[in-house]
This record gives sequence, C-alpha cells and structure tokens, in this order.
Amino acid sequence: MSKIAITLTVNGEETKVETEPREHLADLLRGKLLLTGTHIGCEHGVCGACTVEVDGVPARSCITHAGVCDGAAVRTIEGFGDDEIMAALREAFAREHALQCGYCTPGMLVTSRDIVLRLPDADEARVREELAGNLCRCTGYRGIVRAVLSVLAERRKA
Amino acid sequence: MTASSDGLGVGASLRRKEDARFLHGQGRFVGDITRPGMLEVAFLRSPVAHARLRGVTKPAGAEKRVFTLDDLPGMGTIRANSALPGFRVSEQPALAKDKLRHVGELIAACVAESRAAAEDLAAGCELDYETLPAISDMRTATAPGAALLHEHWSMNAFLETRRDDDVSGLDAIAAAKVTRTLKTSRQSMAPLEGRGVLAEWDPRLEQMIVTTSTQMPHVTKSGLADCLGLDEGQVRIVSPDVGGGFGYKGILLPEEIVCATLARKLGRPVRWLEDRFEQLSASANCREHHYVLTAWAAKDGKLLGVECEAIVDAGAYSSYPFGACLEAAQVGSILPGPYVLPLLRCHTVSACTNKPPILPYRGVARTGVCYAMETTLDALARKLKITPQAIRFANLVPPEAMPYRNLVGKVFDSGDYPESLRRAEKAIDIASVRKRQAAGETVGVGFATFCEQGAHGTSVYHAWGIPFVPGYEQSSVRLTPDGVLEVRVGVHNHGQGMETTLSQVAHEVLGIHPDRVRVVHGDTALTPYSTGTWGSRAGVMAGGAVAEACRQLSVRVAAIGAALLQVAKDDVVVEDGKVRRKDGDSSVSIADVARTWYRAPQNLPPDVDKGGLEITAGYRPDPDTGTHSYAAHAVVARVDTDTGEVVLEDYVIVEDGGKLLNPMIVDGQVLGGLAQGIGTALYEEMPYDADGQPLAATLADYLLPGSTDVPDVRLEHMETLSPWTTFGQKGIGESGAIGPPGAIVNAINDALARIGAEVMDLPATPERVLAAIHACRK
Repeated sequence: MSKIAITLTVNGEETKVETEPREHLADLLRGKLLLTGTHIGCEHGVCGACTVEVDGVPARSCITHAGVCDGAAVRTIEGFGDDEIMAALREAFAREHALQCGYCTPGMLVTSRDIVLRLPDADEARVREELAGNLCRCTGYRGIVRAVLSVLAERRKA
Repeated sequence: MTASSDGLGVGASLRRKEDARFLHGQGRFVGDITRPGMLEVAFLRSPVAHARLRGVTKPAGAEKRVFTLDDLPGMGTIRANSALPGFRVSEQPALAKDKLRHVGELIAACVAESRAAAEDLAAGCELDYETLPAISDMRTATAPGAALLHEHWSMNAFLETRRDDDVSGLDAIAAAKVTRTLKTSRQSMAPLEGRGVLAEWDPRLEQMIVTTSTQMPHVTKSGLADCLGLDEGQVRIVSPDVGGGFGYKGILLPEEIVCATLARKLGRPVRWLEDRFEQLSASANCREHHYVLTAWAAKDGKLLGVECEAIVDAGAYSSYPFGACLEAAQVGSILPGPYVLPLLRCHTVSACTNKPPILPYRGVARTGVCYAMETTLDALARKLKITPQAIRFANLVPPEAMPYRNLVGKVFDSGDYPESLRRAEKAIDIASVRKRQAAGETVGVGFATFCEQGAHGTSVYHAWGIPFVPGYEQSSVRLTPDGVLEVRVGVHNHGQGMETTLSQVAHEVLGIHPDRVRVVHGDTALTPYSTGTWGSRAGVMAGGAVAEACRQLSVRVAAIGAALLQVAKDDVVVEDGKVRRKDGDSSVSIADVARTWYRAPQNLPPDVDKGGLEITAGYRPDPDTGTHSYAAHAVVARVDTDTGEVVLEDYVIVEDGGKLLNPMIVDGQVLGGLAQGIGTALYEEMPYDADGQPLAATLADYLLPGSTDVPDVRLEHMETLSPWTTFGQKGIGESGAIGPPGAIVNAINDALARIGAEVMDLPATPERVLAAIHACRK
C-alpha cells in the first residue's frame, strides 16, 4: 500500500505523519496520534460520533480521507483547552444530564459549539435540526437540547 | 438508614461523577486500548442465511493468518440450555463447523497488523458452500417440510408453551370481542459503541485477560472459562467504559472465544472491534414478535378473557446466558400487564429461523406484549364506544389490592396504577384533540399503561433453569488508610451513572462525602461475582448490597470510633462521615478511624473486630419476585394522510419507580428508553428478504431516532415505595422503552378512526400508515 506524507496541525501542534490512501482521519487521529476522544460510531458519516473541527468547521472524520487533509488544522475534543464556549457546554451538559454512556459526547460537543458560535439566536426547533446529524442512543436528546439552549441563552444575556 | 444530612445521599439529583472524563474525551472504551504487539482481527462471515459449508480456501501466502475451526481445536460450543420442559438446545460453534445458519455467522478469523489488512485477508478467502432454503419468516418456521436448521430437531422451534384457561364460554357473555393480528419488526439495539474484544494471555499468571465491552463481566468469565477449558480463576474479564448496551452486550460472544484462543495460540494480544456493518448485518437480534390476539370485554370495559397465539423469532441459536425462549415464554406471563385479567389462554412458539440469535433488548418481551395488549384494548374500547381511559380504569389493579397476585402468579409490590393514568389524562390536552378531530384534522390521542418487573431474582429465574440464576447480590466495601471508601460491585455501568448513584447510597449510610467514595466495577479480578447489569436490577440489587455492606462497616467504624472517644459503643452514632458521641459534640472522623486501624493499631480497643474495615455483604429483597414500577404514557400524534408521516406533538409520561435514588438519572433512563421506544414505534426495522438477507446495512437505512424525532417530553413522577427493597426503590431502567409503541399507535389509530383505518404492524412507517389508509378506501 502506498504511503502519503502529510502535515497536520492537530490541536495546535504541527505533526508530520504518513497515511495510506484508504485511511480516514478518525483512524489516523485515534491510531497514530492516540487521540481516542474522537469516537467511531458508523464509518458512514451518519452518526456524528467522529465529528472534529477541520479548519474551524465541523467535519465527519470517518468519511474524511486523511490523505486530503495535508496542511489542515484539526481540532479534536482533546484540543479545546479552556475554550470559553466549550467550558460552558461541558458545564451545561453535566447539569442537564446530556450524556449517559459518553460515546456520542465528544462529537456532540463539537457540533454544539459550532451551533452556539454560528447561530446565536437559534431556538429549540433550530437547535434540534442542527443536532440531527449527531445520534445519541442513550439520552433521548432532551438534556442535550436543553444544554445547548442554556448556553445560547447565557451568551445572549452576557 | 440515614447518616447524611447534606442532601447528597439517596434522593438527590447529584451530578454524575462519570461526566468529567467523557466531556473531555477521556473515557476509555475497548477501542481506545492497545497493547504492544497487538494484532487486529477481521472475521470472514457467512454471506448466506442457510447453507452447508464445504470449505474455505485461504488467500495464497496467508494460510497462517487465517484461522478456521479446524485450526483452533479445543474451542467449546456455546450452549445455553433451559430447564423449561421441551426446550431444544442448540450447539453454537465459535466458528462455523459444517453449516451456516445466519448471515454474518463467523467462519474464519483473519489476523493482521491492522484491521484494514485483516479485512483484506477476509476478502481474499474463497468460500465453498451449498445453499439451503432459508427460514426468513418465523410464521413458516414450523410448517411441515420446512428445512431444519438443526437437523436432529423435529421442528424449527426452541420451545412451545401453553396456558389453557377455558375461554369457550366468553362469546356468549361478552359485550364485545375483538381479534387483532399484529407484528413487531426485528430491530438492532444499536448502541453507538459496537462490541469489542481485546484478549491477551498472561504467562506469569497463566491467565486469559479479556477486555470486552460487556454488561456482565462475571457471567462472561464463567461462560468463557467453560468454552476455553480453563479454570474460572484463569480468566479475568475487564469491562472498561461501555458505550451503551441495552441488552446487546449481555452475551457470551463467539468472538470472545475466538480472540482468546488466538491470543494464546499466537502469543500476542489480539483485538476485534465490531463495525457498524457487522452490527447491523450480523447482529440485528431483537423484538420480532407476531401475535393473534383476541380479547373479550363486558359492557363497562371489564376484561373477561384474552386468547393469544404468539410467535417470537428467536433466530438460529440459543445465546448464552439468556437463551432463546426468554421472550416468547414470557408472553403469557406479561400479557395480563397491570390489569385484573380473569382468564388467559396462550400458546407461544420460540421459532428457530435463519437470523441472528435473539437477545433481550430493553423492555425484553414487554415492549411487544404491551404493544399487542394496548392496541387491542383500544380496539375493544372503540367497539364498546367507551374511551381508552375508561377501558383502562375498568381493568387496572386498584391500589387497595396491593400487593396483588395476578392470575399467572406475578406479585405487584405497591402502587396506585389508576392514579398514574388520571395524571396522564389530566396532563394531556384531550379536549383540544377532540375539537381538532371534529374540525376534520387527522390527529389523535393514545394511551398505554403497563408495569415493569425489575430485579426479579432466584424465585423467578430458577424455574427457567438458564445457565445462571441470580441470587444474593454482593458488594465489598473497604476504607483505605486515608479514609476513602472503596465500593466494589459486580454489576457494570453502561451509561446508568452507577459510580454516582452507588456513591450516594454509601453516603446515605456512612455519611462519607460522595467524592470520597470510589466505585470499583467492570473487572472480575476486583469485584464480587454478579450476574451483571440487566433486568433493571442494579439500583435495587447493587444499591441494596452497597447499603448493607456499608451498614455492617458502620458498626465496626462505630466501635473503633467509640474507643477513640473513650465511650461505650452504644454511646456513639455514625453520621456525616464522623463517629459522634450521642451526648455531645465530640467526634472523630471516619478518616481518623481508618488511620487508626491501618497506621496506629496501638490505639485500637482490645476487642476490635479483626476483620478490620473491609466487609463483603450480600443482599436480596424478600420476597425476590421483583419490583414493579409502572407508568402511563399519553401522546398526541398528527398523521399526514397524504404522506403517511406521523408527528408526535406532545408526550406525557407519569412514572412510578418507587424511591428515586437519583431523580436526574432516573429521568435520563426514562427519556432514553422513550427515544428507543419511539424508534420501535415509528422508525427502526431490519427487513430481511426471502433468502434471509438483511436489507439495512448502514445507519442511513436503519433509522435511529434523531433529535428532531423525539419530542420535549413531560415527565411526572409518583414515588410509591416498594415495601421489599432497602430504600423503597424499584427497577425502572427499561420502562421508557415499553410504552411508546402502544401509546403512539393508539394515537395514530385514534387519528385514523374517522376513516376506519388501523395500523397493526410496527414500525408505523409512512408506507404502513398509507397502506392502512388505502386499505379502507378500497
């Protein structure tokens, strides 16, 4: 199998790695870079568990070939440090019981942060629509929706 | 039994201790764990549902990396027997022997440095097989001349059961009689994390260490040791964070047997991770029931009797430990539901088909039975021209009858069943639905009432004679020298927040802050034996065991504390994490007591209990026939008669789970169950073609409910204590998944009543709703 040498900036750190043409970004992040917070749920781009930020935009890392990411900045759940919105979401997720088994949570948080940033005026219906690409099998979504809405509301107040 | 006055104990909506790691991507699932030198496995699986396997040609040059049954001698077959008379037990080889009995059955293990390379090997294998006619429809399984899956059997059925009350006189006296033919679809439980196994042989310990995503580490250990021919002490099961289970991970896997055997043979750690395609195509394994149900009622709606002919598609093998008949054989005992039923005639068949072996999914048989019973009740109500509430009020077991033993011998512990329905009736806006109906809108309201038996123990399961029968649940508690309490339990978390709840229980008894309680679970080397987390049992059983162990520990703590305070044992109490003199304020902390035992034993009283600060205690409710939580679901659904689409406009659940150990977590269980129940009702279906091929292979074809499909539910609790459990708590983990199909389809049928249409089969997809509408327009 031929190899592709790529350079990624992952969670702020430049990394040179070799990948195979068929390797997807999620496998590369988890296998080679040991960033196992990015979870693989379906490998069809449906469930959203593998959602990471690529160049600031949420992306399905399970259907993103690693080889095409040369030069990209990738941010995973491990890379948000004390990002203010992520911190608020984490607090809200715990308060609203927005997670049970925790498997969908990293992808859910990355998507939620994008919603908060992009749609400051989103109402419940819009939040639900925006979350529709991330499946959760445990919570029934109520806690997740409430958590995102509460962070939106806090930010509108601030 | 309370030593906590700070609102962190039983009944507090304490935030979860588990959350921090998950929120930071620091959970540890099987797929996150690697070992130096680890090899990955991909399985060559059966592409056909029924065939005679003639042979496998391995890829040239890779002969030593592909393993069939012949290459791995000594693997025992999986055998999950039952003591029920007439049960036919299947022999499930870890890798196929001479027959293939369902799509996805394991044929060979392919081993490589990466999963992708292992899949290449599997793709390079050539299979030689002779196709046989497949049993794809359970209704044809026992037909004369049907091809036999297990050829030494007389018919394709694991079991038949009968209850033969005489219902022949009911036609003459009943005001109404209805018969309904109903079907639920085969589903995939679809936890977001698939199964996963990492096996390694430790030559120093002579021990097989298997890290596997399971709900029941100890049962897996017993089953695996048996299949590997090892002592149980030579098998250690570690179950790390488990990304959802719902029953899917309550099984001894052939993959576990194969990976363990390979790890020992190759001298390298070996890992297999199930992918979504494998999960959907090889393991869609639950919920497929077929009913012909007849019910008779008097004019006021009182049930006179029920007759039921039920078939459950149990798939190709009897899975370990629950077996192939757990669902069908329970149909008869669950059918009376929360109602007073005088007569029941019931015949069930656990059909053996060319599909993945059945596993009990959240709610187990109840979801299907409740669906059949609740929709039939509504049909009766329509015929009698009484409301759906009225027919339920006429039959629900009244509170003054509690504890109530029903006609099949189930004993309901406590509760006010009619009150849950009254509250649901009040909370849902029936008047506006009727007004909209009068204005021609296709909108309806539906109810379902049911109860859920949980934490049922020895007295129930011994009759089943399955490979294990749950007995006393144990917990080991110990204080460490710094005063932290370790709580060890053999049940395992897969989202239920037990690290939090059990800390609250310990806090309730000892007053130690929950942050200073460490719940240890998910490792057979560290925890007492347990049948695991299933059957809504952990809160009652492990909760009771932890409380009992802490209570016994508190006696020893009090004795040492009293000595330090220089008073008699009877003159102290243990509360708020301290041993306090009853007559005043002087106290020593539990940490002081622990320090004394471990580090300053010169200060111990001479008569100190030499067992120290470590206790293993067992617990079982008395009686152990199970708690019964119950609920009323009420839903408003709008049906688009052009597209067949169903929209849930409002949903109310009134639930009674006894004492709620952590109300926030209980809400989460009910809401999560509800989402799965909505999936059963409206979306989820694994169709099979006539050849037994599964037709949904991705989550784009197998539809799980998303955030726009689950309404913002209103949830009300009643808290009628169970008289039989430590805190009055009842098992409630599955309840949410039981009621939705009945309630939702009742709402749909209420909406469709004006055109006389009725939906019978689940899920109520647009296609089925339209078919029901078109059938009456013809």
